[in-house]
Amino acid sequence: MFNILEFEENAGKGWEKYISKKADASYEDARVYFNSHSKSLKIFYHLMGGEQGKELHVTDKRFVKTSRSLLERISTSGSTFFLSWQDEKALYLPASVAYFPTKEQNEMLYFWLTAMAVQTSSHSGKLLAKNYYATQTLLQKYDGFRLFYEEALNQLVEHNERLSFVSALNMENLEDEIFLENLNEYPCPLWVYPPLGKNGTYSDFEDEVEPNRGDEEQQEKSETLEMKKQANKMDDKKETDGFLAFLPESIMSILEQVNVDRAEDDSFDEDALYNAEDLDEITLGQKSANLSARIKMDLELSPNFKEEYPLGDGKFLDEWDYSKQIYLKNYVKLKPYLVTNIEPIELEPRLKKMIKKIEGEIDLMELDRVKNNRLPYGDEINLDTWIDYKGHKNKSGHHQKFYESFERKTRDMSTLILADVSLSTEAGITQEVRIIDVIKDGLIVFAESLNRLNDKFAIYTFSSNKNTNVRFEIVKNFNEKYTDNTRGRIDAIKPGYYTRLGAAIRESTKILEKQKTENKLLLIISDGKPNDVDRYDGRYGIEDTKKSIIEARKLGITPFGITVDLESKDYLPYLFGKNGYTVVRDGKKLPKVLPEVYMNLTK
Amino acid sequence: MSKTYYLSQANEIELFEAAEEMNLPMLIKGPTGCGKTRFIEYMGEKLKRDVYTVVCHDDLSAADLVGRHLINENGTYWQDGPLTKAVRNGGICYLDEIIEARKDTTVVLHSLADYRRVLPIDRTGEVIEAHPDFMLVVSYNPGYQNVLKGMKPSTKQRFISLSFDYPKADIEKEIIIKESGVDAEVAQKLVNIAGEIRQLTDSDIQEAVSTRLLVYSAKLIVKGFNPYQACMHSIVESLSDEDEVLEVLEKLISLHFVKSE
Repeated sequence: MFNILEFEENAGKGWEKYISKKADASYEDARVYFNSHSKSLKIFYHLMGGEQGKELHVTDKRFVKTSRSLLERISTSGSTFFLSWQDEKALYLPASVAYFPTKEQNEMLYFWLTAMAVQTSSHSGKLLAKNYYATQTLLQKYDGFRLFYEEALNQLVEHNERLSFVSALNMENLEDEIFLENLNEYPCPLWVYPPLGKNGTYSDFEDEVEPNRGDEEQQEKSETLEMKKQANKMDDKKETDGFLAFLPESIMSILEQVNVDRAEDDSFDEDALYNAEDLDEITLGQKSANLSARIKMDLELSPNFKEEYPLGDGKFLDEWDYSKQIYLKNYVKLKPYLVTNIEPIELEPRLKKMIKKIEGEIDLMELDRVKNNRLPYGDEINLDTWIDYKGHKNKSGHHQKFYESFERKTRDMSTLILADVSLSTEAGITQEVRIIDVIKDGLIVFAESLNRLNDKFAIYTFSSNKNTNVRFEIVKNFNEKYTDNTRGRIDAIKPGYYTRLGAAIRESTKILEKQKTENKLLLIISDGKPNDVDRYDGRYGIEDTKKSIIEARKLGITPFGITVDLESKDYLPYLFGKNGYTVVRDGKKLPKVLPEVYMNLTK
Repeated sequence: MSKTYYLSQANEIELFEAAEEMNLPMLIKGPTGCGKTRFIEYMGEKLKRDVYTVVCHDDLSAADLVGRHLINENGTYWQDGPLTKAVRNGGICYLDEIIEARKDTTVVLHSLADYRRVLPIDRTGEVIEAHPDFMLVVSYNPGYQNVLKGMKPSTKQRFISLSFDYPKADIEKEIIIKESGVDAEVAQKLVNIAGEIRQLTDSDIQEAVSTRLLVYSAKLIVKGFNPYQACMHSIVESLSDEDEVLEVLEKLISLHFVKSE
């Protein structure tokens, strides 16, 4: 059906496409995407000496005040750029690049930017100086980069003479006014920039100010949005509508006011997040949440009908602060407790089949001392075979296999299973099954198999609510026998709050350390990154957890992570080392996978 | 002047000599290809001792170290193992990769590795007192971990420990030049490449490039190989099988040695 309105729209789109293309001067055929190289770039970043804990992300568009060419003004392009930039958490690169005519060059640009990011953070000085010296260092050290850079810069300048200031830079004129002006003139795609400043343009490296650092609390929340937006703050406390929220001259860009409640804890609006990705600018309101939302929050904390028995007054543990590189002494309070009002539970029939199968596998692992006879060599001569050989008439035709040797396979193992029961485990894998249910099943099946193997084991769970309240629940300790009560306690596990993994690992390490067996295994079952409501999030949490794992290793304990996290697992190898973890892709398989992992680890 | 070429990294030669003088056993840790074995050979020549090297594996039994009964036309006779030989005649007994041996095997070392310095052989009932020139040296690579593998603390705590790492850049450069005869500029580039690869941790790569591999690639270059090709074959392909890692390493090599057709 032909619609005149649609036609107009299409015509407009066509025009825009045409005119943007004309102004953009990019090579679509040679476009290279970040996602197809993200893993390599991350390794390359480490290779160049970048910090291990930093992440690589896609950057968002950034508005830069430039003098635009006529074409660009018509097409509205040339005012927003995908600049590469970094802050202390991550390096942000464009989602795709097409500056150069060949794929190799565009691909190389990503590697160049990654190397630049490492170099700019090791050089001091202002933006210009940093980028200049970083460039020089790379050119000097790498012939390959030199070839790329010379050609790339020529091509860029050819398309856009406003970039010619880059090639005019030298050691003497770094401080010249003219270049500082040029800086805002046109951003250089070969450079790495500092984070977005308060006023919308980029600040210099020296005064790094993150957007909308109003008060601490607000800043924390804004971090859940993993990309940084050009941020303004508007005063919407007064009951006016948002009619004048945009200025007439910026009418070409979409501005939308979404009621994202950033001042309230954890109310997560997926649509708002989705919209945020598409917007150029996010404006933060300061209105606090309405009453109904707050009441809802209170109701979400389900009443606790478990009867808990606290064990001691709680223990104080250290925590690692990566930014200061020190331990915060006794910073965390961990409270061990035991649930007392449990009912002994017999093994559920639905699990019996699976356990039966696993037991079959376990029985195949013969663990007793095995004597092998009739070997061509060995520890001892088996006299019977020897006499048999001696008495044989035709010795030359007789085999000389009369040795025997013993192979002893005892398993001197203690295993501590530490399960994460944070609120996120409440999430469903399917409509009926939640992660916590799978973890419970997994614990029961695993406990059955360990019991069968006669290996010593203990089960603990944890969840946390800030550093003052890390709850450490005992399900079964090393000395207790595995009984129906244990199953009852596993069944009584309820999701708690957050995941302060470092503290829980430190406490488990202390328990394991006291075990007298030679091999000590710490199995950590979790569903995601370490996090808590205070600053224990992102890099801080990961670095502390990493530290706690290193501490455990030093004491001869082997930590092993088992994760049901379906999102990116970038942080796992960093935490546990390359061979120190496994990811269970299908959460439902956890009960089956747990014993298998264990058997493989201890074979 | 000994025949084996070895360039000292720190105080390891003095320490080894002191340990030898005081009859103390020695434990050497370090990543693969950093010069552990070469060091022992060198010290053996320097101190004029025989070196009995045993490369440990998980099938190594105590009998393989101590000795066993063998049979000839007269019946059975006792054959000394390498450890017993060194204990009787003096010499350095070097157990390479001791972590690979089963733990019960290494227990035979206990009485040798402390003040007693005796080796009891239960099969023959003999108790051999160690020759004054006997020295026990073990080595392992702390890089890889398996729950059931690892050294017993009680074994570990009987040794003077020496931790080896890849040599410092200038020393490594000298070693490469000396071993392969490559020119200083190429050697420097190889050392730079190694320095960068060694910044990767076990999350990206299992083990970093060894000095041995650098010497291999330098040798290939001297032989006439294009440096890019030489590095690809000796360094990149040996380090990993994962596509992403290979891609990045290839990139790194091409940045240092421009790929020419």
